[in-house]
Amino acid sequence: MTSREVTRGLLVLVVTLVLQLTVALELQVGGAHPELLTGLAVVAGLVGGPERGAVAGFCSGVAIDLFLPTPFGLSALVGTVIGAAAGQLGSSGVDRSHPLFLPVAAAAGSAIGVIMFAVVGTVLGQPGMLSARAAVAAVVVGVSNGILSYPMGAACRWALGQEGTGSAWRGTLVSGDGS
Amino acid sequence: MRVARPRRSRRTLVIVVVLALLSVTLITLDARSGTDRITAGLRSVAHDVFAPIVAGVNDVLRPIGDFFAGSVHYGALQAENQRLQATIGQLQLQLREVQGEAKQQRELRALEHLDYLPDDKTVTAQMIGFDLSDLDADITISKGRDQGVTVGEPVVGAGGLVGQVVEASHTTAVVQLITDPRSSVGVAFGPTDQLYAEAFGQGAGKPLAVSFLPTGAALHRGERMYTNGLNDAQYPAGIPVGTVRTFHASAGTGTASATLQPMANLSELAYVAVVQWTPGL
Repeated sequence: MTSREVTRGLLVLVVTLVLQLTVALELQVGGAHPELLTGLAVVAGLVGGPERGAVAGFCSGVAIDLFLPTPFGLSALVGTVIGAAAGQLGSSGVDRSHPLFLPVAAAAGSAIGVIMFAVVGTVLGQPGMLSARAAVAAVVVGVSNGILSYPMGAACRWALGQEGTGSAWRGTLVSGDGS
Repeated sequence: MRVARPRRSRRTLVIVVVLALLSVTLITLDARSGTDRITAGLRSVAHDVFAPIVAGVNDVLRPIGDFFAGSVHYGALQAENQRLQATIGQLQLQLREVQGEAKQQRELRALEHLDYLPDDKTVTAQMIGFDLSDLDADITISKGRDQGVTVGEPVVGAGGLVGQVVEASHTTAVVQLITDPRSSVGVAFGPTDQLYAEAFGQGAGKPLAVSFLPTGAALHRGERMYTNGLNDAQYPAGIPVGTVRTFHASAGTGTASATLQPMANLSELAYVAVVQWTPGL
């Protein structure tokens, strides 16, 4: 990663974090709200590959862990795994030129991230995480991040210096691990 | 190129494993009583840095967020009447603001006269955020360590117990609500408040589950329960916790269970009072 990528990446992360702590918390649907940083980890992986997805997932996880009452590092662990997994999907043989690839993959990855957060939290002894509320949250987070995957993808491509390479829904995602 | 791919895969695997191990290390540090101050310090700094930014952005974006939230609640907008619905939304927003201000005034007046805490000093704080995670029940309040708020102090609302401070930065604090699944409150009830039980949180918006009821205890709907001052003295005695909503007793086994509706309206908190009381004393 270049210093420009790191600077731009941090800027995208901070802006997303501020939006999460302000607008996203206000948009409650069924008692759940969008989790933008989960979406950012997944989209970063889809756009930049598994390495950058893992790094983005870890950083975004640490960022939101600073504000959550759950164990510090829990979101970072989940973010690392889903960012890398999304990157692996993005570099596999899946048809990335399909217009729905980015939103569907971002929605599914985000929903899996929420469930993984609840499962790992439960394993770590956090009570009440695996409940119907987790399922509702997975749906809300999945749908909202699917909708927001286009602007998130644009922000990630800008951070990675790929703004001239087109967009996911036009089938010009970078391949491999993005390094 | 054939050689490069396995190297990249190996490098990716190494990065993922290192980051995962780093995350597990952070979780371990946070869980150990000797090193949890490191993560608590990081959280405190983050709250201090972001609190003014979040407040400023909220001032600018909240009207827009309210507009979209209103749109969600009132159904999909039709293109031809969008302007009309927006006007309705603005009028409703103004009405809610007026109603909200009146409610806040009532809450503030009630917090000035907490007759169940005659001797304890309190710090009145405004709620500035709620439910940071989809799976927790917590609020963020506008007072922190600079105003004397410390971790462990009880928090009450106009009606009764709200929760307990679990994190405190210089200017803000996070309060775990009594409905949070990790919360438990020792309660007292009965004619002379000499019967004890434990009330556990079941998640935001849900009643508390009362367990460890004494054998033969009979509760009636609407009966009040108060903090008992036991349970390693997490809360001072005598704070109203909730009213009995349901009660089931098994004649065969002699066991009983109940649910408790919190006295404080946790879904519509505007102001709360942090009780300057040290747990465990």
